[in-house]
Amino acid sequence: MTKELTYLNYLKQDRLPHQWCPGCGNGIILKLSCLAMEKLNFPKKGTVMVSGIGCSGRSAGFFDLDSVHTAHGRALPVAEGIKLANEELNVMVISGDGDLFGIGGNHLLHASRRNTDITVICISNAIYGMTGGQCSPATEISSKTLTTPRGNVDTPVNVQAIVTAHNCFYARSTTYHFNHAMKCIFEALQHKGFSFVEIKSQCITNDGRRRGFKNSYEMLMSYKEDYKINNNTNALEHNEIGIIK
Amino acid sequence: MAKRLLQGNQAIALAAVKAGLNFFAGYPITPASEILHELVNQKTIKVLQMEDEIASINTIIGASLAGAKSMTATSGPGFSLMQESIGHAHMMEVPLVIVNVQRVGPSTGMPTFPAQGDILQCKYGSHGDYFPIVFYPNSVAELYEFTFKAFNAAEESLSPVIILSDSYVGHLYETIEEADYPISKRTLAPLGTSNRHFTGLTHEGSIPETSDPEAHKKLMNHFKAKQKTVSGKYNSYEYIENKSSDTLLIAYGALSRAAYDLKENFAIYRPVRIFPIVEKLRDIAKKYKEIVVMEMNAGQYVNEVEGLLHRQVKRIPIMGGNIDLNEISTKLRRIKKKK
Repeated sequence: MTKELTYLNYLKQDRLPHQWCPGCGNGIILKLSCLAMEKLNFPKKGTVMVSGIGCSGRSAGFFDLDSVHTAHGRALPVAEGIKLANEELNVMVISGDGDLFGIGGNHLLHASRRNTDITVICISNAIYGMTGGQCSPATEISSKTLTTPRGNVDTPVNVQAIVTAHNCFYARSTTYHFNHAMKCIFEALQHKGFSFVEIKSQCITNDGRRRGFKNSYEMLMSYKEDYKINNNTNALEHNEIGIIK
Repeated sequence: MAKRLLQGNQAIALAAVKAGLNFFAGYPITPASEILHELVNQKTIKVLQMEDEIASINTIIGASLAGAKSMTATSGPGFSLMQESIGHAHMMEVPLVIVNVQRVGPSTGMPTFPAQGDILQCKYGSHGDYFPIVFYPNSVAELYEFTFKAFNAAEESLSPVIILSDSYVGHLYETIEEADYPISKRTLAPLGTSNRHFTGLTHEGSIPETSDPEAHKKLMNHFKAKQKTVSGKYNSYEYIENKSSDTLLIAYGALSRAAYDLKENFAIYRPVRIFPIVEKLRDIAKKYKEIVVMEMNAGQYVNEVEGLLHRQVKRIPIMGGNIDLNEISTKLRRIKKKK
């Protein structure tokens, strides 16, 4: 007998399959979010999903919840408005690195400073995927993108430092480390105050292929190689994943 | 009824609270800050001072969707920053009230001097087509009254409604009656009660529809029809007839107060609901050979009036924030001579 996939109840199943590219990490993070909500018995009425703009911005529309697809970079202030107007609601944000660190960077600084009780899940693929693969604020130094053909020269945003500087919850994981990522979201959702989960995710279509990856499986495997879990630290190193409370 | 000496900005804040305001987010800016100052002392509402005007409007979009009657207040520079999200709020059909206390621009301009440079920005500032309802009162009592109307129109049209003011009217002190006006109830169910999807993408119901031209046309027609129905309830204007004059002088806001001094020689028309333009002006204008629009900008509303009347309209731009009756009279005489 097959096990019933009850987490799917959190999605609008008539809108599936989603329209993201084959191999995209967004679907994994959609599933992770559903599993974490299910584990916590989040009521569908009483939970609100907010997203910004970009591939990740389309996430909110798939949830069988009241959801808001905001203007580019504005997911955080909209989510804060929702939470502060009705503190009974569980408010979650799913958005990308370009949306949250780039155009919406100022709001990240201040939402964490205000410590508003919302959970942000950042699909961090280090690329502007929807617009064709331009360099993002999370792109690694020397990485080749559409707008950095000779390699990126700018330091990626240290989001861990921003969030933890305000004593907020910060977790980092990857789409390869499924159970670890799930634990990060699960704990973030239970955290009182601002919580931020950065999940490194692969974009084969507009990032990986330009960097020499053959397929998204290779990208996932590179996360296995590159990132090690550290459960005992106050500040994650560049190649570590873990939770900072 | 209690009479009270109030400042224009203060009147907006107090009326908003009476009209059911639950949530305010704003950013300090001259000459609109007094609205924020007044509201932080109100115990019944939540007030947030945000990091900028973009955050302010987006926070009230969230709060409004979550069930709170919401407002923000700013001046020209902040209003410009809000433009993208104003279009977004129209697209998602979010009831909001946005106050713009105008000052001389562009850019930082003259922060403490009045201007009317944001007239067209109200209607055309955001990208794409949208159909805003905009009120521009010219006294403290009227600011008080139209704050109620703005909240009602926002709830009825499910869209952002703009109250225009200027640093003259906003900082003016007048004694007014704190009357109670009817309040429209909220019809939009708050977030957390269903599975709706609010999106800035073209949509049909909760489903984004980004490749169907018909879906977009349908949505635009819906917005337009909604604006027409709701704005029809607020055909607010002031008309001072003058049978001995062949000239109709059109002015609004601070400058219309100076126009009152010219009513011996001219007929005066003052729109209060400036957008959508009140069509009654068409009938009124027929009685006059000459139509003159004077405004504190290089000529903005005059184009809207010409568009409505399909005839040439003369313009008197009053620039630099100074209202001088001699300057106005000289310019009017010059127009008369040219005829």
